[in-house]
Amino acid sequence: MRKILSLLSMLMLFTVLAMAQTRPVTGKVTNDKGDPIPFATVTLKGTKTTSVADANGNFSIEAKTGDVLQISSAGVASKDVIVGSSGSVNVSVTSTTGQMEEVVVTAQGVRRRPRELGYSVAKLNNEDLIIGRSPQLAQSLAGKVSGLAVFNVNNSVDPAVKITLRGFRSMTGNNDALLVIDGVPQPGSQTMLNLINPNDIDNISVLKGGQAATLYGSAGVNGALIITTKRGKAGRAKVSFTNSTNVEQLSFLPEFQDKYGNGSAYAVGYGQPGYKTDHLERMKDNWRPFENQQYGDPYDGSLRIIGRQLEDGSQNIVPYSPIKGERKKIWNTGITTNNQIAVDGGSENTVFRLSVEDNRAQGIVPKDKSNRTGVRFSAGTQAGRLTANFNAAYIQQNFDRTTHNFYFESLNQAAHIPLSQYKDWKNNKFANPNGYFNDYYNNPFFRLDNERQVYGDYNLSGAMDLGFKINEWLNVTEQIGVTNNTRNRKNTVGKFIYSDWAKNSAFVPSPWEATNDYDGIDRAGTDNLGSVYDAMSTENILNNELRLNAQKDFGDWSTRGMLGFNVFQRKTKFTELQSASIVVPDVYNVSNRQGELGGGEANTMERKFGYYANLAGGWKDMIFIEGSFRYDFTSRFYKNDRPANLFSYPYYGVDVSFVLTDLFPVLKSNVLNYAKLRAGYNKNGNDNIQLYGLDRTFGNGPGFPYGGTVGLTVGDVLPDPYLKPEFVKSTEVGAEFQMFKNRLNLDVTAYWQKSEGQVLQVKVPNSTGYPFLRLNVGDTKNWGYEVDLKMAIIRTSDWNWDFSVRYSYNDNKVVKLYQGVDQFSYGGFSYAQSFVKKGQAFPVLSTTAYLRDSATGLVLINSASGYPLPNAKLKDFGRTIPKHILGWGSRLRWKDLSFAANFEYRGGNVMFSQLGRDMTFTGSGKWTENRDPQRVPNSGYYDANGKIVENTTVNVRESEYGWWVNNYRNFAENFVTKAWFIKLRDISLTYNVPARAVSKTKIFSEMSFGLFGRNLLTIVDKKNFYTDPEFSVNNTNLLGINDTNQTPPVRQYGVNINLVF
Amino acid sequence: MRLKNIAVMVLLVGTLAGCKKTWLDVNTNPNALPSSTPDFVFTNGLTRMAFSSLNPNELGSYYSGQWTQSSSYILSPTIFSYLFTNSDFNYWDGWYDILSDFNYAEQNAAAYDQEFIQGPARIMKAYIYQQIVDVYGNAPYSEALKGGSLLFPKFDDQKSIYEGLIKDLDTAIIYIKANPFTGSGAAADVAFKGNDQKWIQFANSLKLRILMRQSRIAGRDAYIIAEINKAAAITEGFLPAGVDVGVNPGWLATAGKTNPMYDRWAYDPNGATRSLARFPRPTRYLFESLIATNDTFRMKRLAYAAGGENTSTPGVSTRSEIVSNYIGVPFGVASGYTAPATSYIGPSQFVKGQFNKPYYLFQASESMFLLAEAKQKYGSGVNLPGTAQEYYEAGVRESFRLTGAGLANANTLLTSGINEADWNASTDKLKAIWMQKWISLTNFGGFEAWAEYRRTNYPNTPQSASFTGPERPLRLFYPGTEQGSNRANVEAQGTINVFSNRIFWDID
Repeated sequence: MRKILSLLSMLMLFTVLAMAQTRPVTGKVTNDKGDPIPFATVTLKGTKTTSVADANGNFSIEAKTGDVLQISSAGVASKDVIVGSSGSVNVSVTSTTGQMEEVVVTAQGVRRRPRELGYSVAKLNNEDLIIGRSPQLAQSLAGKVSGLAVFNVNNSVDPAVKITLRGFRSMTGNNDALLVIDGVPQPGSQTMLNLINPNDIDNISVLKGGQAATLYGSAGVNGALIITTKRGKAGRAKVSFTNSTNVEQLSFLPEFQDKYGNGSAYAVGYGQPGYKTDHLERMKDNWRPFENQQYGDPYDGSLRIIGRQLEDGSQNIVPYSPIKGERKKIWNTGITTNNQIAVDGGSENTVFRLSVEDNRAQGIVPKDKSNRTGVRFSAGTQAGRLTANFNAAYIQQNFDRTTHNFYFESLNQAAHIPLSQYKDWKNNKFANPNGYFNDYYNNPFFRLDNERQVYGDYNLSGAMDLGFKINEWLNVTEQIGVTNNTRNRKNTVGKFIYSDWAKNSAFVPSPWEATNDYDGIDRAGTDNLGSVYDAMSTENILNNELRLNAQKDFGDWSTRGMLGFNVFQRKTKFTELQSASIVVPDVYNVSNRQGELGGGEANTMERKFGYYANLAGGWKDMIFIEGSFRYDFTSRFYKNDRPANLFSYPYYGVDVSFVLTDLFPVLKSNVLNYAKLRAGYNKNGNDNIQLYGLDRTFGNGPGFPYGGTVGLTVGDVLPDPYLKPEFVKSTEVGAEFQMFKNRLNLDVTAYWQKSEGQVLQVKVPNSTGYPFLRLNVGDTKNWGYEVDLKMAIIRTSDWNWDFSVRYSYNDNKVVKLYQGVDQFSYGGFSYAQSFVKKGQAFPVLSTTAYLRDSATGLVLINSASGYPLPNAKLKDFGRTIPKHILGWGSRLRWKDLSFAANFEYRGGNVMFSQLGRDMTFTGSGKWTENRDPQRVPNSGYYDANGKIVENTTVNVRESEYGWWVNNYRNFAENFVTKAWFIKLRDISLTYNVPARAVSKTKIFSEMSFGLFGRNLLTIVDKKNFYTDPEFSVNNTNLLGINDTNQTPPVRQYGVNINLVF
Repeated sequence: MRLKNIAVMVLLVGTLAGCKKTWLDVNTNPNALPSSTPDFVFTNGLTRMAFSSLNPNELGSYYSGQWTQSSSYILSPTIFSYLFTNSDFNYWDGWYDILSDFNYAEQNAAAYDQEFIQGPARIMKAYIYQQIVDVYGNAPYSEALKGGSLLFPKFDDQKSIYEGLIKDLDTAIIYIKANPFTGSGAAADVAFKGNDQKWIQFANSLKLRILMRQSRIAGRDAYIIAEINKAAAITEGFLPAGVDVGVNPGWLATAGKTNPMYDRWAYDPNGATRSLARFPRPTRYLFESLIATNDTFRMKRLAYAAGGENTSTPGVSTRSEIVSNYIGVPFGVASGYTAPATSYIGPSQFVKGQFNKPYYLFQASESMFLLAEAKQKYGSGVNLPGTAQEYYEAGVRESFRLTGAGLANANTLLTSGINEADWNASTDKLKAIWMQKWISLTNFGGFEAWAEYRRTNYPNTPQSASFTGPERPLRLFYPGTEQGSNRANVEAQGTINVFSNRIFWDID
């Protein structure tokens, strides 16, 4: 034993302490709120016997009854306590330096005081998260931490989000912050972000820079959100019940025109015999009762048919005038109810907490709904030198939504269509697809009913840890974490066969018929045979951490060390089955089909292990220095014939902190009471390569196999044989100041990150035979600064007013791409794409644009038609991720009434709205309202001498249709806008019933009521007619392009009640 | 306590040491294959040619004036106002991707004992390269398809590529003669089922296509004649009557497995009409041209009467098949011709339920028309046994055969006494050949029709109603993808003007 121990001691550079022989006294050091104070020094007064509390404030010291223990720790007033006969001592100490000394949880669960840290860490407590009572964690975070950007890329009952810290580093890889829940990293999975109940979270530490990776491994390279869930508190078991109910309403719709009804280009075209020169006449010719586009003649209130005559002879005749409010009426008011019960309690040594949540939401899209039900249980116990914790949750959520683009379909219905009356398509003959007026787009309510997706997640996750205190300064912890998620999905499309009448005979009756009209509804030409898609995926994550922690003081030096070993495994499986027809209606099983069964599967497995060490030292509690080292092995780069340096890699980090006001007490004054400087550097390895990215593959060619005929295609990606992990180097400097008796806290940070040798799938010329090479080529830079300011403006017994501001600036640049390769596209639409371009920030938005005269800026037009000419290439319009993020919030308490609000501003970026293009196509957009003869604004053309002259005479040829649909719409720059916004993220007003009143109930011990709201106010650029700039078609690196798959922005407000029994 | 400590230490040391590197050996892709024999890749290449010919054939059908679009869809200005950029019509990437498949098959054939793949693979490469030249001009050829070892292939001169292709086809014929199909070859060959003779005939006809494309270039005749005579000397000859080059891997009535053209423009695997069936429309000019020669036989095969196919009696129009019900759409017109009011693409291509027709890459009729033109132009200079009239009439008959218009009707047309139908009545024999070739390529070979239109400027199809100027696109832009990844070599080609930079064989 001694041999092993001393070996170990040498390793840790410590010496063994002889153990005293008196009886052990244990205890716990907490602050006045009951939170543990870690690593407090416990001295047997008058002797040299000391002990140091562990991370949870627990200590043990040999002492006799009647001895005096002196408890001291940085930032708290030292306190003496007398050892009683019980053998256990609990000490509550008071903070001397205010908020700054709150403990934060850093990588690998290490609890540290902020003054020791050489990097920026933000901490959010439960009360910060639940202001707006959002059931989604991501939405609770927006705007609350500098450097953190939450992109709510889609609303709906299953909102999609993207969370980044300090912008984008990786061009094609993942830029998402890592989520760590109770010590278990959740890489590559957005699921937990959606599943976790924000109310179960005790606090979140946000590690913004590279420090997370140095201890969490590659997955932490984009920073980490370290979530600690609530634990039970010792004492009488408490039962708390919370209900919050909110409604959700459209916050804004784009502006619609209400001057013109349905019509399209039916008038005789220019240059053909019978062409009419009066645009109003052409508009009349353009009117058709079955059109989806809204380019007909002006509304005049006359009675007109919509659609064609039905089989039973009926005609749907309505006034040709817009119906006010109809565009809004088709959307529902959403309702979310959230009920939670939590029970917690425990004895001195054992605590537990059990919580149950049930969340039910109905969205603004009719019939969309979701529910989430979860149970979380945690328990912890301490028995002598052993501590054990257990934490597990089972959460399931189910969604029932339409797969149909309801928003887009609704834009294809003119303003005089009584759309909200068409919900009952089974009984209303004018709503039924066989009778619905629109030739091209079906009744949106029919499709809503007919095209459904039902899916759900079933998630069991948890962690167990066991700690053993080897001696006064050394303990070992083993933790195993598991996340197991199953997702089931069934998408169905109902079968609908059109009637013969609808197909061939439905006609436009007199007096509304026109020459060239034909019989039969155009859309009825395509029967809907129905389909079923059934898929299941499972994900299983295992994470094991074994850590040896040491802590010891030597004179003026305090030291702490950690050695750790991590094993990680993630396994996924995905299977799908589909059939493109239904034989018997309403039976959605893939066996109820004609034709072949379709399907596929995908499996992945990845494994990693790593060794890590961390050594931190402090001198007189004034200067701190910390170093970390990690050595990782990853399966992503492993092949049994590859050299070890290609799949294993070391990296490290170092940081320092100087408490200036302690080092130079002269600096302290009435104004400044605390100042600290800090600096850190990290070099992190990152195995940022797609799974199985080393293999060149041969996949099935299109449609293969055809029965017995096999066809394989040479894969599109040629991997470089020497692929290796990339490295991200981060430098960070910062300073913290506390002023005016801690009334004002200021934290400033500047950082630079350089990511080198990114594994990129480089677009090489297709003429090489391979569209892509995968190799280590990309370098990016990413830099910025962050300012956090907190002010306690008023602190009296009745009044409490805090104000805080968080600003972050972030920029990035593509430094290096493969030689000869200047750019590549993330995708988007052919006319509006998101690009990576060398020398520019990324992603950058490029769209089709007008050809402009570079000297005058005039839009060049064709002098014959008056229509603009296109720029030959897509034109850059700027970055799509925000450069500036500003959050500000305030809390105000007056006696038992408290108020909180948070705002966020983001800006410096642009977006493209496909919605704008769609609404120009349909003619529903307000901006298409001018259909009178007009010129292209600020245009010019080449005159006979080849000189550019300003256009003052040439109108666009057909202002009532051709200009908007065939020209304006095709210049995607018309739908590019600045993406800045200001949002009132969350707001709450809470009344805590005074304890005196509560106690009279004899049932409750606490009681509060509140009002809350989310996104009550949204301000966007005045040229952004379209939608919420946060929206995007997906949550990959392709941000800044949105379309109608993101339903209109919403605001939510409601009431909540909180009771504690 | 000591025991506990020991236990902890053993656990710690044991776990740290217990992790071996082989534990990481899970990095073999379980979802895709690591290698393939050349035959499977060859099969795939042929099949992909069917898929990737869809778009170029569509565009060619428009730009040769055979098809336009209905006004059930709003007009595509990209196509019909020629407002396209270097991000539109990128056929380049797909073609080079398939070239890569054929190249793999050719180069790995020997290693896998499948040498019989070499010749056919090289023929297909030549077929694709010609298409590349025909819309892009100069292109990577000698330095292309070298993977990571040559990442920025230079562009070869278009004329030299054409010459190289002739040599490639010579080589291919030698390969085939040396390594006839054996073993798995017949199954892999989803065009000719392992028929060596037909592959050689295809190579010869393809040579003829490449050579005759250059026939209007001054001073090129001697080279063309010499090469035609070399081809004519090969005993297998050219693609004979009844032998079209059609790809059929065994199309199935399953999503993604039907004939891709049927799938795109006609019906889904279960027979539901595709909404895109409402998009392409025969032009009014096509119908006028057919009616001018009383050729309603092929008109009724190339198109359905307005309203389309009667899905309960497949192959037959909904409305009565009288000439007045065949409504073509003026080229590029934006309005007034909705889908149901106009003619659908016809039964020669689309009959409900016939999802398993071959996808044609080269028709026998084209082979005949090429021979006719060669003979007409070079007379006895070329060692072709038949007369120009014989080849011409055989070409017309082959077209009637493929469209299903009936051999007797072909003879009626050929003896009608009408210009550009009846050889003897035709005032300009070359124009008669070009006109009949244009008709025969309708629905089957739009891309080739567009190339031939640019070469011959015949027939005089109308300008797009949605374009104000007189000019028409003569080529495509180099795609943005190549521009972005092989910039220096693309820029060395100068600034491309699609209305004025002609392909080398397009002399006027």
